[in-house]
Amino acid sequence: MSATDTPDKKVLAPFTDRELAAVDGVLKDMSADENEANISITVSRDLDVPVPVGSPGPPAVFGAGGPMLKQFDQSNAASRIMSQASTPPRSVVGIGGKVAKPDYSEAKIVLAMVGLPARGKSYLSNKLMRYLKWLEYDVKVFNVGQLRRSRARQRAQQSGKREDHTASYFSHDNVEATKLRDQLANDSLDMLIQWLKEGGNVGIHDATNSTRSRRQKILERVSREPGLVVIFLESVCDDPAIIAANVALKVSSGDPDYKDMSREKAKLDFERRIREYEAVYETITEPHLSYLRIKNVGSQVTLCHIHGYLQSRIAFYLMNLHLKPRSIFFSRHGESQFNVEGKIGGDSPLSERGMRYASALPQLITDNIGDAPLTVWTSTLQRTIQTAQYLPYPKLTWKSLDELDAGVCDGMTYEEIEEAYPEDFANRDEDKFNYRYRGGESYRDVVVRLEPVIMELERQENILIIGHQAILRCLYAYFHDLPQADLPYIKIPLHTVIKLTPKAYGCDEERYTLPIGAVDTHRPKPKGPVAAVVPKTGREYYTQDA
Amino acid sequence: MVAPLYTTASGLLFHAGKILVCTVGLPARGKTHISRALERYLRWTGVKTAVISLGDYRRKVLGGAQKLPPDYFTLGEKSPETIKLREKVLEGCEQTIWDFFNAGGQVVIYDANNGTRERRNAVAEKFDKAGIHVIMLESSCDNEEIILSNIRSVKISSPDVTTRTTANSYRGWDPEKAVADYYNRIKDHEIHYEPVEETTWPFIRIINVGEKIMVNNIHGYLQSRVVFFLMNIHNRFRTIYFARSGQSLIEHSYKADSDLSPAGWEYAERLKEFVLERRAKSLAERGIDPKERRLVIWTSARRRSHHTAWPFLTHNANDPAPPAKVKVIERPQMSEINPGVWDGLTPDQVRKYYPDEWVRFVNDPYAYRAPRAESYHDLCVRLEPTLIELEREKEDLLIIGHASVIRCILAYLIGLPASEIPAIEVARGDLIEVVPTSYGVYSQAHHFWDGPGRSSGPPSHGKDEHNFYENYAEDTRGKRRPDSSVSGSPALSAA
Repeated sequence: MSATDTPDKKVLAPFTDRELAAVDGVLKDMSADENEANISITVSRDLDVPVPVGSPGPPAVFGAGGPMLKQFDQSNAASRIMSQASTPPRSVVGIGGKVAKPDYSEAKIVLAMVGLPARGKSYLSNKLMRYLKWLEYDVKVFNVGQLRRSRARQRAQQSGKREDHTASYFSHDNVEATKLRDQLANDSLDMLIQWLKEGGNVGIHDATNSTRSRRQKILERVSREPGLVVIFLESVCDDPAIIAANVALKVSSGDPDYKDMSREKAKLDFERRIREYEAVYETITEPHLSYLRIKNVGSQVTLCHIHGYLQSRIAFYLMNLHLKPRSIFFSRHGESQFNVEGKIGGDSPLSERGMRYASALPQLITDNIGDAPLTVWTSTLQRTIQTAQYLPYPKLTWKSLDELDAGVCDGMTYEEIEEAYPEDFANRDEDKFNYRYRGGESYRDVVVRLEPVIMELERQENILIIGHQAILRCLYAYFHDLPQADLPYIKIPLHTVIKLTPKAYGCDEERYTLPIGAVDTHRPKPKGPVAAVVPKTGREYYTQDA
Repeated sequence: MVAPLYTTASGLLFHAGKILVCTVGLPARGKTHISRALERYLRWTGVKTAVISLGDYRRKVLGGAQKLPPDYFTLGEKSPETIKLREKVLEGCEQTIWDFFNAGGQVVIYDANNGTRERRNAVAEKFDKAGIHVIMLESSCDNEEIILSNIRSVKISSPDVTTRTTANSYRGWDPEKAVADYYNRIKDHEIHYEPVEETTWPFIRIINVGEKIMVNNIHGYLQSRVVFFLMNIHNRFRTIYFARSGQSLIEHSYKADSDLSPAGWEYAERLKEFVLERRAKSLAERGIDPKERRLVIWTSARRRSHHTAWPFLTHNANDPAPPAKVKVIERPQMSEINPGVWDGLTPDQVRKYYPDEWVRFVNDPYAYRAPRAESYHDLCVRLEPTLIELEREKEDLLIIGHASVIRCILAYLIGLPASEIPAIEVARGDLIEVVPTSYGVYSQAHHFWDGPGRSSGPPSHGKDEHNFYENYAEDTRGKRRPDSSVSGSPALSAA
């Protein structure tokens, strides 16, 4: 009989006879197999582990806080020596380890945009880039207009003469300019292909590619490269309001082509440029092409010869986008008991201050959003449900929004982890994004888990997510296009609502902190500077290396 | 992530509404195949779905084609009696749809030709008025090859011969003649057929089995899932194998993430041999060179699962056989069901510390989520993206998984109701082979290994009865194992 079955004694042995028999049997089995009698069973039956007062149940048997995990690792080291196959290096003991990025080397896609100016090509490429980069694909936009400008700048420096890049340059009748523009498109495609060969995954060829012959040339060029595939993404728009908005954005967003021009003049010239393109534009009808046509941002979608994992992901993502104005609110749960005690994970209720935050939250949200519809998403953990309890909106509970699973370290403080496993603890600080807790998750695992949430978030309108630190970091990084290495250090303080409003090329952000005190759970990167989050809302002109 | 995020009192997803999917297409365009696949997917995700087939309904009330008046299917003028009869059948079938919605159903897939604008408009308007979202789902083909092969596999030699009168009436025919005859019969229909070009209703058009897909005005949660699912299904022949991971040092702990035991490593070697042998045989039967086709292996990120695939990646220099053409993919979403705070505990301990939770768990192991744990329902949600990947995969696939994960995926493939998921027996040492066919799957289990850790073997130490959370229902609710059988949904599953 094990100590566990003795009630009234505040002493528990985390091992039961049954468990011991299990491990024991395996070890005996090994010695019998290998004729090696000298394996000692290092698990002890008489461990006195006092249960903390107020603890709701038995201690986590294989948690890193108890002695059992270490004992187990020591005792099973023997089994690995006797294993028939070589044990892969990932087989670490302790509380976790670094996990390599999955192999994406087979994904090599040329994504060629097709569409008239002001049809949202750059908007779609930008969104797509952000999404795929968040999933750790290497994506780069090769903008032909950018290449044209930088080349012209070089020539202007040499000759001292500025070239004319107004609408007449884009006329199909301008033979010389047409030749030049073709050359630019070819050069930019060559650069893209070179980049893919050097390890990129998705190269976006951001140009009008508006004629059949142009697309045929791209297809021929790409098919000369083994392992590369090309898909065309045509953006069609016949909604005058969307076009007008796109024109206005182009004219007012500091486009280098219209730097020294008045807005009215710029607008007229740009509209003339669109007409020049319209004169020769041919929508995709070639039956052999692999293409995706999006009309009015998602209302009509055509897919043709879309095969392959990434292609179908791209198609589905683009299908779910919409342009309706909306805001996404993030808030962590109110301060929890575990926050106060400095413990990670768990499913503890809110602290007294956390409850005050929950009571104050409805006013803050209603002041902000008025009577617009809103849906609240929480995780299944009680601290988020408690935080949302007074909000007068429909609520959904998502298992996928649960906090990063700290596995064997769940319920411990960082000090306890550091004390029990100093080396592992340091390893996690070194590469937090890639570090997977034993029996738990890494930040990458969480990103994978959240992908369907992002997809649903793109489809939805106003949403308030009451979430957890790691979860909100991952979602926030998606909306602000932040690199994975910085992701685990994003500051998402307690008792603060973050409001994100998607704009054409990024998100506007506002933060509202309620004057209710809370502990700071942010652990900065021990070495090196903390990533400064600079939200980007303007269009990026890929100037540096395009 | 699809439906079972939560359930409401009505059993419906409140932000999805009721949906009627009207199939549109000439005979032999794969409408039924698509309808059944969609039904299986939506049901698995917990959405109350039914395929209601006009043809099946007619056969049920009027009997086979020989009992119909001669002008029932022919084109042109029909006698008043026949017109009346046809209307009666249509009305009766539509009534079945209403009945299903009224009984709490959420999605109906109306499997009929709906080949004219007038006809489908009439149906759509009726249901639209009642607040039901209508979607047209057209399957069309301009590739003769595809049509002929569809006739051959489904209409003439369908294994599902009892419910298919066409197949029945061609019994004893020379197969090629039967194909030609059927082809000519349906050729006439093309004259009156109007493809979905009107944008009155949201539509999904699938051309040549997914070569081209057009989507118009599809909004809404379930609708968007339906599109994504349809984008990913295909009908290339392939086999999906399932095997459990080898025995690990501590079977009953999720957190310890323990490595394989010596018996587990042995198992992994044996599994590799058996899979390669078995696969070579089944490919050879179909005249395919195993060297040409790659075997894709999925494992979870857990050591016991990933390491079971390890022998596939190592090649002994003395082995005369060339290394197998395999690719191993580690999927963190495929971890076993998470036992939460019950990790590593025995049933006795759980009963002692969590008496109320224990009772609820025992009553409903599918839906009940132990503290901090996952229910099977949660697990299905987690596995949904994997399932889409599984549909998309065109190569042969070996899933080296945990019992709970295999259960969920098998239930989907075979079309078992969600509540039965925890009770599916997945024995260690069996290789389960699943071949998708037109209307269901063909599945078979091969026994290849006996040794420590085989769950139904003789009592020995270290067997995974310790892993009670994952295997609880299996031990108590009787066993259901995938037999050597063709399974598919019954003909008129809604009725």
